[in-house]
Parts: sequence; structure tokens; C-alpha cells
Amino acid sequence: MSNLKKKLVNGEFVVTAELTPPKGPEINQMIDKLKELKPLVDAVNFTDNPSGKMRMCSLAACKISLDLGFEPVLQMTCRDRNRIGIQSDLLGAHALGIRNLLLMTGDHPILGDQKEAKPVYDIDSSILIRLINNLNNGLDINGNRLNGKTEFFYGGVVNPNAEPLIPQLKRFEQKLKMGAEFFQTQMIFEIEKLEKFMDYAQRFNTKVIAGVVIIRSKKMLHYLNSKVPGVSVPKWLIDKIEGFNDEDVEKFGIDFTAKLILNIMEKKICHGIHLMAFSKVEEVKNLLNYIKI
Amino acid sequence: MIVSNRKDLKEIEKYIENLDKFFLIGCSECATLCGTGNEEAILNLKQWLEDNHKKVTGWMIAKTGCQILGTKRELSQYKEAIEQAQCIMVLSCGAGTQTITELFEEKPVIPLNDTLFIGNMRRFREFEERCRACGECFLAITGVCVVTLCPKSMLNGPCGGYKEGRCEVNPLRKCAWIIAYETLEKRGLMEKFYENILGPKDWSKANSPRQLKASTGYSKSKTEDPKEK
Repeated sequence: MSNLKKKLVNGEFVVTAELTPPKGPEINQMIDKLKELKPLVDAVNFTDNPSGKMRMCSLAACKISLDLGFEPVLQMTCRDRNRIGIQSDLLGAHALGIRNLLLMTGDHPILGDQKEAKPVYDIDSSILIRLINNLNNGLDINGNRLNGKTEFFYGGVVNPNAEPLIPQLKRFEQKLKMGAEFFQTQMIFEIEKLEKFMDYAQRFNTKVIAGVVIIRSKKMLHYLNSKVPGVSVPKWLIDKIEGFNDEDVEKFGIDFTAKLILNIMEKKICHGIHLMAFSKVEEVKNLLNYIKI
Repeated sequence: MIVSNRKDLKEIEKYIENLDKFFLIGCSECATLCGTGNEEAILNLKQWLEDNHKKVTGWMIAKTGCQILGTKRELSQYKEAIEQAQCIMVLSCGAGTQTITELFEEKPVIPLNDTLFIGNMRRFREFEERCRACGECFLAITGVCVVTLCPKSMLNGPCGGYKEGRCEVNPLRKCAWIIAYETLEKRGLMEKFYENILGPKDWSKANSPRQLKASTGYSKSKTEDPKEK
């Protein structure tokens, strides 16, 4: 059983962080970041060509992490592979010792740096989740018997900020039915929206890790709001930092996220946090020191 | 209908550099509705060729350009003009262009249009893609074609990328799954829809090239024969 699963099952609060594999063959920087993250978090998620921007594959990054003795979460999207490629990559990932999966449909290539690419989307994330359920039962997507069973701990994503929210809640339920064992949320700015979602989610026996982002600059907040699918930064937050100078924005960012996390922990709103710090390990360190998890 | 768009003339120029005499063929079906294969389009092209010191030996508009035998029959009366031409230009969809290629193997056949999609016309010459010819129609379940209208062809609900009900790929458009969701709700089928999962889709039905010998009849099985009821 993966450490992440063990902790979540035992009701311990988990902290994960996100690293984006390098844009290029050079991995030393990623290794340095991993070493810094190791004492701070329970697992590190490796993104799968986020926003459709071409990077080294998540699978290789996960293997590098395993070799350093650090538990990875493999993010797998449906954008770049058909069902054959997905199953093949997942069996390979399992053979290399990767156990945690976070499954999603994936941002469209038109948003990335290879806009001319043909998007695949042979299956969507609900079907992908059922596919993993099959692999764990020793079957492929068509029900053909495999020569063994995988032991993946697998989760889906949900966006509590979505408007309208009900179609998103239905998708959450559907992913649960397909076998998702945990959920990671899109970045949260307003605790009320997370609470509202958790009121709904609590009727199902599942684990939810809240995505939180560390605000670094005005530019970053505008970027998230206008360029990142599914992310809407509340207007009051944009208005609030508009008057700050750059240094104040950084201080505010750490303080804002720290308060959000402490609030989540004190009220026991969900079962962990996932730090979306865009590979800025220093910020993760500052934040976690600040709240002393 | 098959929606087509006129190619950029710069692209056409590349194809006709060393050619002087042309025969032009339009189509009275989809390309006429699109304004890419009607008389006006043909005459505009003729004028452009003549302005570029080229000669048009003749032109015609096929009734249904993709109907091979019918088009062959219609073309028989233009035999001489076609013989005089060094090249045939077709103002239709790709299927119509290939009718002409099949009929005149020895002459260069140049498409004047790019074939875009299967769609509907909302206002005069304003087209919307509605069908991807995927070979497996889910419209009875989803109301709108999510295979076409969702850029990710999601079968089971929206992705997490929509904002205020707008699509992540094109925020000017409403998310296809928000439309489908509203349709399901109006029909009272929303709960039922989410009881099952749709797919994985059988994409082998969309493998090209496809062929069909069509039948107009429905099943003659006893249960479906109205006389038996």
C-alpha cells in the first residue's frame, strides 16, 4: 500500500506538492527540488504536460523520484494517448513501482505550446477511472484477462469553483462510482466554496485533498484567472491585491494561503492539501514553515 | 450539409502557375448553399482568371457533384470545352472534386474550396459544425452532439475547465455539456443519465475509409412489423 493511501486511510492529514517535469532533457534542477521537497511533503505530483505545454513525461519523473526514495503521484491525462497507449504506459508505470495515480481528461492542446497537435481524447476521465479499476482487477478496458492485477491507488479531480456547480457534482459522483479512491480539487481561493462542496461530498465515503495555490504576484493571479482552464479568481481578491506593491503581494500570498490551510485543518474540512506552487520549492518551504505542519 | 470555404487565392496561384486554359465546375447542393460553388462564385473565379490572363473554356454547375454517374452524364455535353482545357477547377466539397478526378484521370483537377465540416446554417451563410460523422449517434441520449460540440468529445459530462458555463477552448461558446445537462434536465432524464457511463466509444466505426450499401427498410422482425401488433 502506498504511503499516501496509508495516511489517507488512517485519517492522517496529508500534504502533497506539485512539480512539473523539465522542458528539456536536463533533470538536475528537478532532482534538487525533489531533495528539498522530500522532508516537507508526503508525496509529489508530477504533472502530465500541463496546459498542453510539452514537457518530459510524468512517468519518467515519477521513476526518478522513486529512485530518490520519494513517493510520487503520476498524473495521467487523456489528451495525448489513446486507450492502448494509456494502458500500456500504466502497466509500465506499475512495473517501475509507481502506485499513486491522479487521473484527468487534460487541458486542450490549443491552450499550450503545440497548438497544431491533434488532440486524442479517445476516452474521458470517468472512463479512465473505470479503466484503472479494471487493471486493479486484472482486466484490460475490454475485460480481457491480464497476467496479474495492478495495485494502483487512484484518484480523480473535481472543481468546487465551477459555475454551474451541479454538473461538476454529478461528475464527482460518477467518478466515485467508477472507483475513484480519492479526489484532488482545483485550486481553492474561497473556503466557503470548498465547504459547500464538502457538505455534498461527505455523504460519500471518500478522501478529498484541497488544491491551494501560493499567490506570488499580481501578474500570476491575472494569468491564473485568464489563462488556466477552470480557475476563476474571485474579483474581491484581484481588487484587494491591486493596491499592493510587489513585496506586499508576496507577504499577502503566503499569509492568505496559510490562513486558508489552517482553516481547512482546524475545521477538518477535508483530508489534506495539495500545494500548487508551480515548482517553486522555496515557497512551499516558506509556507509550511509559516504554518509549521 | 457539407460546409466548404473558398481557398486563399495565393494557394490557387501556386497550382496554376504554368496553366492557361481552365474548365470550371460548381455544385448546386451544399457548395451553392455555402456560396462556394454557385453561379456567382463561378463567375467571380472566371473574372479573376481572365484578369490574370488565363482563359476559361467553359463552365457548368453539377446538380449533385458527389453523384458520380449523374455528374458524368451532365458533363457529356461539355466534352469539347473540357478537351480544350488544360485543367479542371472544381468548386464543391472534396467529394465532388474527387468525382471529377475519377472522370478525368488525365487532367489536373484543382479544388477551389477547403471542406470544413458537416453543419447547419443558422443564418444566411453562417454555419455551425454539428456532426463529426463518428458512425455511432448518441443524440437520443445527450440531445446535442457532445462528440462534435465538446472539443474533448467528452461522453459523460463536462471537464473541469469550463468557466461560468463557457468552454475552456473557446470562451465565446457555451460548454456543450452545460447544454446537454440542461436538455437532460428538461427531459427529466438527468438522474437516469448519470446512473450509467457512456462509452468507451467504439471509434472503429469512424475508421476511414468507410463504405456503405444503404438500405431504406427497417427490420422485418415480427415484433417490429406494425401489421403483427
